[in-house]
Amino acid sequence: MATDTTSSRRFGDLESPIVDADFHLTEQVSDLVPYVERPWRELFIGHNPFDESAEFFDPFPSAGIMEPHITTGRAEIFSPDAVRSADDVEAGMELLGVDLPVVTPGAVMLSVSLVHHDEVAAALARACNSFVLDRIVDETRDVYGTITIAGQKPRLAADEIDDRADESGMIGVYLPTGGLNPPLGDERYDPIYEACERAGLPLLMHGVGSGTMKSFPVQYEGFSRGMENHVIAHPFQHMVNLVSLVVQGVPERFDVDFVFQEAGIGWIPYLMYRLDNEYYARRDDAPMLSRRPSEYMTDDFYYTTQPLEGSQNAPEYVCAMARLMNAPECLLWSSDYPHHDFDHTNEIYRVFAREFERPALERIFGTNAHEVLFE
Amino acid sequence: MTRTTDRSHHVIAASELQPGQRVLTEIRGREVGVFNVDGQYYAIGNYCPHMGGPCAEGLVTGMFDADDRGDVSFTRDGEILCCPWHGWQFDLKTGDHLGHSKLRVLTYDVFEEDGELYVRM
Ligand code: FES
Repeated sequence: MATDTTSSRRFGDLESPIVDADFHLTEQVSDLVPYVERPWRELFIGHNPFDESAEFFDPFPSAGIMEPHITTGRAEIFSPDAVRSADDVEAGMELLGVDLPVVTPGAVMLSVSLVHHDEVAAALARACNSFVLDRIVDETRDVYGTITIAGQKPRLAADEIDDRADESGMIGVYLPTGGLNPPLGDERYDPIYEACERAGLPLLMHGVGSGTMKSFPVQYEGFSRGMENHVIAHPFQHMVNLVSLVVQGVPERFDVDFVFQEAGIGWIPYLMYRLDNEYYARRDDAPMLSRRPSEYMTDDFYYTTQPLEGSQNAPEYVCAMARLMNAPECLLWSSDYPHHDFDHTNEIYRVFAREFERPALERIFGTNAHEVLFE
Repeated sequence: MTRTTDRSHHVIAASELQPGQRVLTEIRGREVGVFNVDGQYYAIGNYCPHMGGPCAEGLVTGMFDADDRGDVSFTRDGEILCCPWHGWQFDLKTGDHLGHSKLRVLTYDVFEEDGELYVRM
């Protein structure tokens, strides 16, 4: 059940549909377990001695990070019941003024690549896809989903992509990256890229706050507040995976669109210029590349906007970053609804409208995502 | 007798708004929340300066604060309004955001006359 819809679209006259490239479910363990297939299902039918209120054992590791605006109940919209049906998705579309949401898991499944049992992780991803197809996807209402995979066993992830590739309601492959080691340029992940290429689907990558405890355990140990962790969790996970993908030549070897979600935008021009700088000095360290790293970053990679840092107090910063990363070519508007830090379409449109004319705005708010995900 | 004039808008009988309670109303097309905080009345616009969320419908609570040594306490319980969209916090008495000096929610004067509450707008 979504909160009431006090606000919807209040801006410009874009002719292209507004696509939201990161719109979340709040799926719970109890939604998934009925869809877990045998034999792994047997692991979930006993009781949970660690939490008497829980119906099932919770296999998703959490770093136990306390976010005060969530745990005190202040950010009410981010509740366990926020988005668990197609009706809930529609309520969110209305609240945001969005025409086409790209629906991705946004609760327990964000941590699927942290699950400490590789086959169970793959089984949970499969269960999630069954749940999404059964209960969420509804093409007649413009509600589309994504094929979630777990990164632990790339071969199983590839099987899952192959299995679901013909579902017209599934428009991308969604890899929660939190906790994955080694980073994504490693050849062990090649089966995932091969499967994406076969299916003609983009790969969406999404970090998670708890991922820090496994991806950056030393740093995580030193934090004692949620804010310290949250501000670096998403961009750090992406920066590590992005440099690994580029330097090891993955975009040279596979014809796949890579989408980095939920890390804002300032880190993108920073990494573009930094990588190019290195490349000029030692091209021999990245011999697979036939172009400058920044060209892969804007030609083969895409980025979602939220949480758009600076939108409240430094719109000129946002516009400068967007210009430097060639946003009309590679930036996709996203809300992250119903998470505690979701962006609202009206607000973000206002910021970008300072810098860009209508054709570029149409690309950022819909056409780019439409090309990557729906065509 | 209740009266609504050009600038004074009747909201509710004071006896129906007890400490800790709120009422939502609409005045000149604007949604306004009227709150009773320990016997004092405050009116605040239901439009969050962050992204337009319905802030007057959110939780009323207190805030964490720390002294010079870093010892943390929970203070001003009942005086802090939280927007339900992202949980941003505002001082119910002034409308000021707790962490952003330039952001505030619109506030309005409330007065009581003959046991009735009015908002000036
Ligand atoms: S809209 Fe009120 S906190 Fe964001």
